[in-house]
Amino acid sequence: MLQQVVNGLTLGSSYALIALGYTMVYGVLRLINFAHGEIYMAGAFIGLMASQVAGLPFAVAMLTAMAGAAVVGVIVERIAYRPLRKAPRLAVLISAIGMSIFLRNLALALMGPQTRAFPIPFEVKQLHVGKLRISSFDVLILLTSVGLMIGLHFLVQKTKIGKAMRAVAEDKETASLMGISVNRIIAFTFAIGSALAAAAGVLIGMNFNAVDPSMGMMPGLKGFTAAVLGGVGSIPGAMLGGLLLGMAEVMGVALLRSEWRDAIAFGILALVLLVKPSGILGRNLQEKV
Amino acid sequence: MLSLKNVVTCYGTIKALKGISMEIAEGEIVALIGANGAGKTTTLKTISGLLTPTEGEIIFDGVDITRRQPEDIVKMGISHVPEGRRVFSRMTVMENLELGAYSRQGRGSGRKQIQEDLDKVFSLFPKLKERQKQPAGTLSGGEQQMLAMGRALMSRPKMLLLDEPSMGLAPMIVKDVFRIIQEINRAGTTVLLVEQNAHLALNTASRAYVLETGKVVLQGGSQELLKNDQVRQAYLGE
Ligand SMILES: Nc1ncnc2c1ncn2[C@@H]1O[C@H](COP(=O)(O)OP(=O)(O)OP(=O)(O)O)[C@@H](O)[C@H]1O
Ligand SMILES: [Mg+2]
Repeated sequence: MLQQVVNGLTLGSSYALIALGYTMVYGVLRLINFAHGEIYMAGAFIGLMASQVAGLPFAVAMLTAMAGAAVVGVIVERIAYRPLRKAPRLAVLISAIGMSIFLRNLALALMGPQTRAFPIPFEVKQLHVGKLRISSFDVLILLTSVGLMIGLHFLVQKTKIGKAMRAVAEDKETASLMGISVNRIIAFTFAIGSALAAAAGVLIGMNFNAVDPSMGMMPGLKGFTAAVLGGVGSIPGAMLGGLLLGMAEVMGVALLRSEWRDAIAFGILALVLLVKPSGILGRNLQEKV
Repeated sequence: MLSLKNVVTCYGTIKALKGISMEIAEGEIVALIGANGAGKTTTLKTISGLLTPTEGEIIFDGVDITRRQPEDIVKMGISHVPEGRRVFSRMTVMENLELGAYSRQGRGSGRKQIQEDLDKVFSLFPKLKERQKQPAGTLSGGEQQMLAMGRALMSRPKMLLLDEPSMGLAPMIVKDVFRIIQEINRAGTTVLLVEQNAHLALNTASRAYVLETGKVVLQGGSQELLKNDQVRQAYLGE
């Protein structure tokens, strides 16, 4: 049982990293960035290249992937979303889906359709704590995710740019009256969300030793589910939603069979949307006019 | 200090301002009065850069600011307290004030200078000091108005644009707010005051412009306008 909790936490913390990007972008733009899963994929590829081709050590490859994906995220915002800032929602949604398809095909063209191995670049030990068996890589996933989440919390709550992000999320017009360059803050939000997704991409890519152009779809949907479960727009909600979803999946698989994994996740999504669309920690989705 | 020359501003194809000209000198309190929908808010939004005029020009301190972005205009010294206060309700009082200082750069943006200005704001609005850790959304209407004004002052503006500071406030609080507006002005900040309550506006400002459907129809000294028959009928309800 405790073993499952550890597994659930590990899985959930990577979902949380992905969910954060959805929720932060939703916070400032009221839009679901459907290309987010592809940014996660791009991050995994950049990490793979940095680690395998350039031979960089793990931490450096990770930072390279995060920086690279941040750039991709900013470009996506610039060409797919910014020109549509005043357009109807449906146009933005179509643009988002188009961007997601474009990025997946770009990866296909550049990297080919095959699944590439992404070996963990150091020796993985099995740690025994009482009856628990934890791999040192699981510990790394947990520590990295938690570290990034603490860092994000500090950024958003305590720094000047974090306060500007919250101001933009609440009221763009008034934020600009404070001297905040709203477009710059939106770009920054994409950069941060994308960097977190890239971290998840590298960690999950290594964990399953697999990277391919369509790898972003399922984790993208899971991250989205986690964001909705926690309350889309809420940063603590995304963290909580990710952990709960990971836990539910692991428990469900332990009780039922592994085929049920995705059904459990999307069952939760459907249930939340039906019963409480604002999620656990979300504010009421009804926008004041 | 600020001059508008034949400014035209549109919402889509509808002209909300049909060629407005105004002059405001340093140190003045000037009122802008007019009925609902006359274009008062539109005028302030055009000055602060939230709306861009299609014709005319706006000069502030000798610089053409007609097509500047709002974030640049606040850096140049015009601070806009919007209609309905628009405090960041999920953020604390303190965070709102810190955001007010966001535009400050270089000299004057140090921790010490910001603390000095915070102290000034707290001495004008002692309530804000007591409530600095509280989310701004939990403040009363009067307190929110004070926060919106304090927040605007944190950018060290040369000029303050106030959009209906009395809206929805009890008479006692309105008196307080207007006393503080005069105090802010005496300390050297020029004020452009939009008010529905013409009595209050004309008793606070030295001069005023009267706006009707996007045009300036009257202007002059406040005392003069208070005696004007047209103003008395249309705006003072006499
Ligand atoms: N966002 C908008 N889109 C279209 N028309 C608008 C918009 N905002 C204002 N208007 C129109 O422009 C005109 C001027 O509006 P404005 O808000 O400037 O008036 P106001 O003098 O501030 O009125 P009030 O005293 O009610 O605040 C009105 O006819 C209004 O209907
Ligand atoms: Mg108005």
